[in-house]
Amino acid sequence: MAKANDAERYAVATQMQLTWWRFRRHKLAMVSLFIVALFYLLAVGADFLAVSDPHEGDARTSYIAPQPIHLFDDGSFRPYIYGLKGVRDVKTFKLIYTVDTSRKVYLEFFGHGYRYSFFGIDTDRHLMTLRDPRVTDGIHLLGTDLLGRDLWSRLMVASRVSLTIGLVGVSISLVLGVLLGGISAIRGGWVDNVIQRGIEVVRSLPTIPLWLGLAAALPNDWSVTQIYFAITIIISLLAWTDLARVVRGKFLSLREEEFVMAAELAGASQTRIIFHHMLPSFASHIIAAVSLALPAMIISETSLSFLGLGLRPPAISWGILLQDAQNIQTLALAPWLLLSAVPVILVILAFNFLGDGLRDAADPYG
Amino acid sequence: MIAFVIRRLVMGVFTIWLISVVSFVIIQLPPGDFVDSYIAQLAASGSVISANEAASMRELYGLGQPMYVQYGKWLSRVVTGDFGESMMWRRPVTEVIGDRLWLTLVLSFAALLLTWALALPIGIYSAVRQYSWGDYAFTLLGFIGIAVPNFLLALIIMYFSFRLFGANVGGLFSPAMQMQPWGLAKTWDLMKHLPLPATILALAGTAQLIRIMRANLLDELRKPYVVTARARGLPERRVILKYPVRAALNPFASNIAYLFPYLVSGSIIISIVLGLPTVGPLLVQALVAQDMFLAGTIVLLLGVMTVIGTFISDLVLMWVDPRIRHQMD
Amino acid sequence: MATRRRFLGSASVFAAALAVSPEALAQAVNSKSQFGASGLVGKLDGASQSTAVPAKFQEAPQLAALVKAGKLPPVEQRIPSEPMVLQPLDSVGKYGGTWHRAFIGPSDGENGNRIMASDKLLFWDFTGSKVVPCVCKGFDLSKDGKTTTLFLRKGMKWGDGAPFTADDFVFWYEDMYLNKDLVPSPISDMSAGGKQGRLVKIDETTVQFQFDNPYYLFPDMLAGDTLIGGGQSVRQSAGNNYGAYAPGHYLKQFMPKYSSETAVNKLAKEAGYETWARLLTVKKDWELNPELPTLGPWRTVKPINTPTWVMDRNPYYYAVDTAGNQLPYIDNIIMNLAEDIEVVNLRAMSGQYDLQARHIDLSKLPVILENQQRGNYKVHLDLAYNGADTTLHINMGYTKDPVVGKLLATADFRRALALGIDRDQMNETFWLGLGTPGSTAPAEAMPESPGPEWRKKWSVLDIKQANAMLDKLGLTKKDSAGYRVRPDGGGRLVIQLLAVKAFMDWPKHSEMISQHWRKIGIFGEVKESERGLAFQRMASGDHHILVWTNGGTELLYLYPSWALPTDVTPGAYGLETARWYASNGAQGTKPEDPHMLKALEMFRAGAGMEEEARNKNAQEIWKIMVDQQFHIGTVGQSPALMGVRIASNKMGNIPDRACIAQHCRTPGSSHPETWFFKS
Repeated sequence: MAKANDAERYAVATQMQLTWWRFRRHKLAMVSLFIVALFYLLAVGADFLAVSDPHEGDARTSYIAPQPIHLFDDGSFRPYIYGLKGVRDVKTFKLIYTVDTSRKVYLEFFGHGYRYSFFGIDTDRHLMTLRDPRVTDGIHLLGTDLLGRDLWSRLMVASRVSLTIGLVGVSISLVLGVLLGGISAIRGGWVDNVIQRGIEVVRSLPTIPLWLGLAAALPNDWSVTQIYFAITIIISLLAWTDLARVVRGKFLSLREEEFVMAAELAGASQTRIIFHHMLPSFASHIIAAVSLALPAMIISETSLSFLGLGLRPPAISWGILLQDAQNIQTLALAPWLLLSAVPVILVILAFNFLGDGLRDAADPYG
Repeated sequence: MIAFVIRRLVMGVFTIWLISVVSFVIIQLPPGDFVDSYIAQLAASGSVISANEAASMRELYGLGQPMYVQYGKWLSRVVTGDFGESMMWRRPVTEVIGDRLWLTLVLSFAALLLTWALALPIGIYSAVRQYSWGDYAFTLLGFIGIAVPNFLLALIIMYFSFRLFGANVGGLFSPAMQMQPWGLAKTWDLMKHLPLPATILALAGTAQLIRIMRANLLDELRKPYVVTARARGLPERRVILKYPVRAALNPFASNIAYLFPYLVSGSIIISIVLGLPTVGPLLVQALVAQDMFLAGTIVLLLGVMTVIGTFISDLVLMWVDPRIRHQMD
Repeated sequence: MATRRRFLGSASVFAAALAVSPEALAQAVNSKSQFGASGLVGKLDGASQSTAVPAKFQEAPQLAALVKAGKLPPVEQRIPSEPMVLQPLDSVGKYGGTWHRAFIGPSDGENGNRIMASDKLLFWDFTGSKVVPCVCKGFDLSKDGKTTTLFLRKGMKWGDGAPFTADDFVFWYEDMYLNKDLVPSPISDMSAGGKQGRLVKIDETTVQFQFDNPYYLFPDMLAGDTLIGGGQSVRQSAGNNYGAYAPGHYLKQFMPKYSSETAVNKLAKEAGYETWARLLTVKKDWELNPELPTLGPWRTVKPINTPTWVMDRNPYYYAVDTAGNQLPYIDNIIMNLAEDIEVVNLRAMSGQYDLQARHIDLSKLPVILENQQRGNYKVHLDLAYNGADTTLHINMGYTKDPVVGKLLATADFRRALALGIDRDQMNETFWLGLGTPGSTAPAEAMPESPGPEWRKKWSVLDIKQANAMLDKLGLTKKDSAGYRVRPDGGGRLVIQLLAVKAFMDWPKHSEMISQHWRKIGIFGEVKESERGLAFQRMASGDHHILVWTNGGTELLYLYPSWALPTDVTPGAYGLETARWYASNGAQGTKPEDPHMLKALEMFRAGAGMEEEARNKNAQEIWKIMVDQQFHIGTVGQSPALMGVRIASNKMGNIPDRACIAQHCRTPGSSHPETWFFKS
């Protein structure tokens, strides 16, 4: 009975539903989907989750190692942190912090912190803040950077920037890729040839010099936001070729499929065939290609920032945090700043597994 | 067959020409010119040059002329093998690039070989033993290679190999060998320094190739002829290696050409971090200082290398996949 | 009181030294710094000159072998009869060894130029406060200040063995300086009271600079890092044609006057250059041309535009130690190319470099100290004398945006910006507490210092006063984020900080400054830029504020570029003003600001004043500059720029503390030719 039901369901299910059912069986991909969703959630609530102003630092809190939050005070749940005191060692020139166990600073939930705008609502509520802190007190879950800014808070805000730069960039590449790939496959002939040659030229150029040249050409008086969008466009201008190839390949192979031929014989118009029959059947392939293109975008942003040509401070992105960590003194004195690589790695891995899972699921012969 | 090769060659030359235009235009995009950078360098070292001198320098370098004239001048010289003078290095561009181009090639090629050597067997294994622990472990390892930004990885590895093993810091030669003429000892010295940067470089590409190989082989393994071969009692080894692997190699081979510019791009960043004497740091400096003959030549040469790589991969493809050979005839 | 400045090879007859003693400098350091305990900031020390010429001369073993083989004349014939005699810091050294160093590219010529600085006509002693003989054994400044006579060393030779005489000065003056092809516009170093001077040969070993107006500053100019006094290595490399002498006997073959236009152009074509002038540029550049005769202790063997820049000893070098050993002790210098600063620093920590201060990053000091044992080196910190390693150079001639331009030209606005910076925070974060917070005025121990109160003037954190001043300027309205808005209703007032990552991480410093400015409601936007592009923006008057050092201004007359608009390059304070000053009023626009006008007039008059009056004049100029805040100082007198010195324990005669300053040509005034390898 159940079996018959299932068969019936499969028979009438759309391509997308089929893909989703197959995808659900792919555990790693499901976990990845969860991680990606979580990160985008974090990005939305970045300011709320930040424990202190990501731009605000103090020399007296420079290079503090990650500090634990003590959860229980006198046996009851009353989270607190200890006060810290930093003194520069006159021999080693290091800032040495000592924990002042006599001074407890209690945490407050949904307390007041720096002001920010949440979807147009002006607020200063944060998940965690300190009650009556001194200037040098802070919750430092992941430690602080050279300027004494809290890494956790910076990471939250950076995630928002880097995750959206990927999305915006991929949308642009997607439009370019589908358009050019589609035209290439449908028109064929010299059009196909020209587009294929174009793709070959773009792909045979080492990308770094291209980025360098383009990024260096950005006008100097542009604001951070303008540069942000320009960088996105630059990255996506070079990233569409993969998508175009996928789209073209799928178009070509689908043309040979029986259901397309059947539609043709039934007298369906070309547009109808493309939008009604072909596109839906490989939409999941495109989604897979997109989720595989996203990590490349994120990596591109970090590489450009490393070369000093990406986003610039005071903007905060993963690339900027990594560039901050890209020196010897970080490795030797503040290795916790390398933690900013962890979300990059996680998100890139998640997108890759997600894309793999989607692609496997999208395969009709799976 | 010959027609195919010739068509490919013509296409290659056309692509190279396009690359030359694109690279030249890109170099011209940033505002300002070499003399500005030059003034800046002097200022930084405590020297000054007058506005008059700056103007006469511009004239001397032909920087005032229209871009197409500068491009024409450059191209007509390039054809005769004269790549012009690097303004920053005050030497002929060919001399500046010198060893660096082929050291870049050696490094990228070493990374390429390493990528294949890792990706091919792992890809086959992962496909044959799909969803096994080994498959997951290798995939994860490969993906970490993709996910960790290679500039960070390079610095971390360099620093810790210095702290923990007192290893030589960066470079492709030991200090004592740097000044020596080429010989067996120096080549051996190079071989000793190559594995570290090549591995860092190869990590990212390997994951990509593993994925491609795995996916292609999986596609092939599901095809009826494999089932037939199994049914006829062929040993599993032959079932897999004889046809499916060869068929799966097809897209694998076509990715070689595109892996190469990717590795070259990566080598630029890695070389900066590790202080390697490749064209990477040279290119970045030249672009920043707008030393256009040098930057143009490097981009052009890298592009040419890639086109040659594509061409070779086409030939390999023909050898691997008889279907293409027949199509072309 | 007119003092006649004269010396003839004897250190004791210096009539006037600058009013600063090494003790005073050392004390100034120890009193201000709690880091005396670290033992890293030592006593100012170095090789000094002696007047007793040794009776007998010795040479390096490999030179002795060449002499024996008949390929080189004996040492007595190679060095002048009146050599420069250097008393090494600790002991007479041993010959031999290779000095490994790093350089970062073909533009890093200063790396080598500074080591060759003893090719200057006059120099400074190790304290950086006293002019001493160098290539010239002495000078005589006439009472009226109009002529300076230079006395050369008898029997002195170029690196190729040709005699070095007054004719080499005449060659430079007539065939290079007066040649419009090579020097299109005359330099102000060669003019007094707006009129160009002359160079005249008196006899084989005497030359005279003659001016129509008093030029009491001229000997200092010859000793300073100026266009006229820089020496052959720096002033005739990288396309320059300055200095005051040149090897005519060698260069003539490349000049049309001594050959023919067609012949020299043919020579150029053969060598792959388009014109004879291009070829000459390469041929007269010691960094590029190993054949070029020079006077410095070493000479190029492999040029700078290769992965290793190699220098070999100059067998004709004109200095000996007190035991009569011809210097240098060290055989050769090998500079390894490392484009990245992190690589340079890591290699230095692993002990790959024998002595390196250039490109060593102060912010890595804790790590550098940690690796002292492993790398077998010792760290020395040399503190500079300039006011601020990070200076906000304000473009007071900004016109692109009249609202911002007007504010930048308003003294109270600049003062408010200065009061809004928390310098202690900056010192702690970027200087590890090693610097001295304050204005742009030089260290109090310097003769041109206007006094300690001027180090503090407008240069301490005072948010209340800053806000009050800004309010008074009418900038009372603020936007939702708390930033002041433009008076013309054009939204938020944005002040751009143009910052370059060179020597120090100035973009990061700027980030902190703009963070501090939040408290005074000023939005400082950091514009990080590549060096060339930043200077280009500045050259077109496109910047609000440039963040750069003011190194060199501790001797204002010798290096005014980063204090006053006297030069069109770099033009940090308003290009039109600079043009007006440099052209003596013929071009550009006369500044409207009476204080700026006064400062420039005083500066122009300074060159004609005698030392005491001149220093007083400089103090007054500093008072104007600090009071008006033409430039905002943050933290200075630190080792940040070339002052973190990593010296291998294998090396001897290394000073505990060296003078790091533009005019000292660090490490030039420590005389690297007296350093040696102990084993």
